[in-house]
Amino acid sequence: MTSSHLSMDQLLAVRDGDRSEPAFAEAHLHAADCLRCAAELDRLHQRTARLRALPTLAPVESQYPAVRGRLAWERKQSRQLLLGALTLTTAAALLLSVVGRDLIRPTRLDAEQQIATAMTSSQQLERALRQIKPDERVLDGRTAQVVVQIEDRIAGLDAQLADVATLQREIRLQREAQLWQERVGLMNALVDVHVTKASNVDL
Amino acid sequence: MDTMSLPDAEAVVARAKLGDPVALEALYTAYSTPAYNLARRICRTTEDAEDVLQETFFEVCRSIRNYRGDGSIWGWIRSVTSSKALMRLRRNKYRDTDDLTDELAPSRAGSHALRMDLESALARLSETSRAVVWLHDVEGFTHEEIASQMGKTVSFSKSQLARAHQRLRLWLGEEAFS
Repeated sequence: MTSSHLSMDQLLAVRDGDRSEPAFAEAHLHAADCLRCAAELDRLHQRTARLRALPTLAPVESQYPAVRGRLAWERKQSRQLLLGALTLTTAAALLLSVVGRDLIRPTRLDAEQQIATAMTSSQQLERALRQIKPDERVLDGRTAQVVVQIEDRIAGLDAQLADVATLQREIRLQREAQLWQERVGLMNALVDVHVTKASNVDL
Repeated sequence: MDTMSLPDAEAVVARAKLGDPVALEALYTAYSTPAYNLARRICRTTEDAEDVLQETFFEVCRSIRNYRGDGSIWGWIRSVTSSKALMRLRRNKYRDTDDLTDELAPSRAGSHALRMDLESALARLSETSRAVVWLHDVEGFTHEEIASQMGKTVSFSKSQLARAHQRLRLWLGEEAFS
């Protein structure tokens, strides 16, 4: 140590009292004895003091209006998603209670009543689905696959509903009632998928 | 800093935690200048520093409820600011001129005509070295804190600090260091 001088790493360790540095004690003693290293350490202290004394830079204009705007936008988005999710969950629960009751006790309604109820439910679910604008949402691959499968099955049911028009009235009504109820079930599932997605986005 | 900029910091923070917009704005008013100064010393451009300032206070307003009051409110805001500024550096990594300064530095050694003032010398440092020297020597972050925020080792932080001082010494025209 006496034949060579302290490196910058060693000087910094001495300045900061960093005892974790190897040979810290030796470096500390050397800085006390060696005029050149003592002067170097002094320059290091002075440079640091000059850095701390540099003028404080201030922003030209306030960024707070932009911060406030972003916060307001974020709050609005959260509220909308929460409201949408709650509305859809409530609607789905109500519909399930009506349709579920019909499914459990189908004999209380004749086929025409069942069809009318199921059609109304289906329309309400479609309206609810439009409200959450599913086309504007980004879905992960797995969710998108489920959505496509449900939509395909609904399309298949719609095709079957068009076909039953040729059947005898009694058979046609029973078949239509069954198909419409299946359609409501699938619509419910589709809404559930999108509501779950909306809840996840909100989180 | 707390008592200088915001004498009733504790009460303001308590109100900010409840979402009081006046209290949130008071935090911005009190700490935006030191936060901007920190961001500007780390970032290359004023635009980047302004973005960091905005990101910082957006985060502060959203996460103030998570502030436990272990340290000073400025200490917490300062950590958020440095984290955002370092994130910005990582995003703009291609701008780092470390290699360029390595090549140019020797030709300037010992030239009194090319002696720089401290501001210029600081600006000339690579973004990483400048960030480390500012965070450690001016803001008082430990090497452990810097390493953690940068996702690097403590040795990396220490070597960057030594490197920064070697260059500053050279560019400021102080006597040759051997």
